[in-house]
Amino acid sequence: MPKDISRRGFLKGGVSLAAGVAAGMAAGPLVLPGAAQAASGQELCTVLDLGKCIGCEACVDACRAEWQPTVPDPVKPIPQPFPSRVPIEDWSSRKDVQDRLTPYNFLYVEHLELEGKVSELHIPRRCMHCVNPPCTSLCPFGASRQEKNGVVHIDQDICLGGAKCKTVCPWHIPQRQSGVGLYLNLLPTLAGNGVMFKCHRCLPLVSQGKQPRCIEACPQKVQSIGPRQEQVAKAQALAEQAAAADGRPGQWRDYLYGLEENGGTNTLYVSPVPFAKVNAALHELHIQQASQEAPAKAGQGRGQAAKGGKGLGRRLAQAGRPPMGPVANSMENPENLTLALAIAPVAGLAAGLGRLFGGARKLGRALEARRQDADKGGQS
Amino acid sequence: MSAHDHSPGGRAASWTYGLAIGLALFSGMAQLPIMKRYYIADLPGMAWAADFFATSDLHYLAAALLLMMLAWRLALDGRLAGLSWSWGPRTWWGWGLLGLLALTGAAKAARNWGLYLPPTTMLVLDLTHLMAAMAFMVTGLVSLVMGRKEPTRAGMAEGL
Ligand code: SF4
Ligand code: SF4
Ligand code: SF4
Repeated sequence: MPKDISRRGFLKGGVSLAAGVAAGMAAGPLVLPGAAQAASGQELCTVLDLGKCIGCEACVDACRAEWQPTVPDPVKPIPQPFPSRVPIEDWSSRKDVQDRLTPYNFLYVEHLELEGKVSELHIPRRCMHCVNPPCTSLCPFGASRQEKNGVVHIDQDICLGGAKCKTVCPWHIPQRQSGVGLYLNLLPTLAGNGVMFKCHRCLPLVSQGKQPRCIEACPQKVQSIGPRQEQVAKAQALAEQAAAADGRPGQWRDYLYGLEENGGTNTLYVSPVPFAKVNAALHELHIQQASQEAPAKAGQGRGQAAKGGKGLGRRLAQAGRPPMGPVANSMENPENLTLALAIAPVAGLAAGLGRLFGGARKLGRALEARRQDADKGGQS
Repeated sequence: MSAHDHSPGGRAASWTYGLAIGLALFSGMAQLPIMKRYYIADLPGMAWAADFFATSDLHYLAAALLLMMLAWRLALDGRLAGLSWSWGPRTWWGWGLLGLLALTGAAKAARNWGLYLPPTTMLVLDLTHLMAAMAFMVTGLVSLVMGRKEPTRAGMAEGL
């Protein structure tokens, strides 16, 4: 097993492969279209063949048309959280912004100019739908959820907008809208600050066996959706072709993004140029954009975040434009420490009952003797 | 003579238990996004408190230590009648809360190994874990403030 594929991803892959093989043996090859398979509850994965994308943004328009109306408008005035350095994030007057992620925009397209054979590249960006999503595993309120079909979404009725999901997401995908949601009914100044929003893979549609809007709307058929195992095989084949076409046969991993990142995701990008080059170009572009956009324009209202002087890294992380660099499995330690949790009570029981039982009896006798001494001392 | 002298593991076990409880509660609280907001992470040497991954690791380690100690204690209690303990829960309420915390925590952690739990189950687990931890903390604080002594044979032997 390659070191960078997590045990969890490996187990899941193995299980779904075994299930696929069993299903194949029982009923021949799977013939359901990808969206119908979504209804069957299998883990779904998308593949984006970036070589086909013309950057028309029909996907973005379709996503916005369907889902922007589901994001509520904030109460006015939005309560200022305490302490005052906690920023109010209000995008309600900038719903038109579609060149980055915002609470009202779950998908945007990066337009890159490159040097070399491929002179331009367009990259639709949204949540990666990680296999073991830290946003879900670490949400203390159960508001970030993962469905059996792999879709990761945030329940806007429960989310308090603390933005922990954004902090722990390696791509800082979820975006906050202050002044909406449950926290308004609790302690609006002391706890919470709105609701986090992001792509939910069109869960309401997918769970009815329909295609996500962005896939349906694309004139180029850039994206496809289907069971993870099939999609991984498809993405790998496409990446092998891309590597060969770029004169680097065998180096397919360089042309595939999302398979191993963060321990594995259910969004696989295949590019005609290596992702190291894509990421370098993205980084340059994002720095340019960050320097052009004053933080006040970038969605920060009052509070500390509206003030300048923050580090570039922090500003880029807040900019709603995720990079495409290598990402280690952020859940690797919890995955390993789960073993410690499993072993600990067994070790404790063994120490109390097992080989040390003789020792325990001795300990019991010693304690009893001391108690008797104490009793005698008390009586005298 | 102190209660520690009668307790298996002695003073070291009491301190280890206290430390593990303290770390588990602090690192658990640090899972709420409050350490940065309320300046705790701004205190000298406390920046790590706002690192959700570091505090999550600490939470797992503290929980593992607690599970080991409590399992050891239960095993010894099962084999040797009348042991007295200077650490650990003193009431069924305390044991119940710790049991609830262990069960809900274990179920949450099992996700890391690919166990699928429906979102509603996760919500119930998360909220139960959170509420049980708060109840445990309040119980501990009340018992500290009230200065309640442990009604053990060791205590009785000392005439407490
Ligand atoms: S990309 Fe970020 S928001 Fe999306 S599932 Fe992964 S951790 Fe969560
Ligand atoms: S899957 Fe749905 S919610 Fe996600 S980006 Fe596409 S259209 Fe938007
Ligand atoms: S993915 Fe399709 S719809 Fe979206 S920008 Fe590319 S070509 Fe257009």
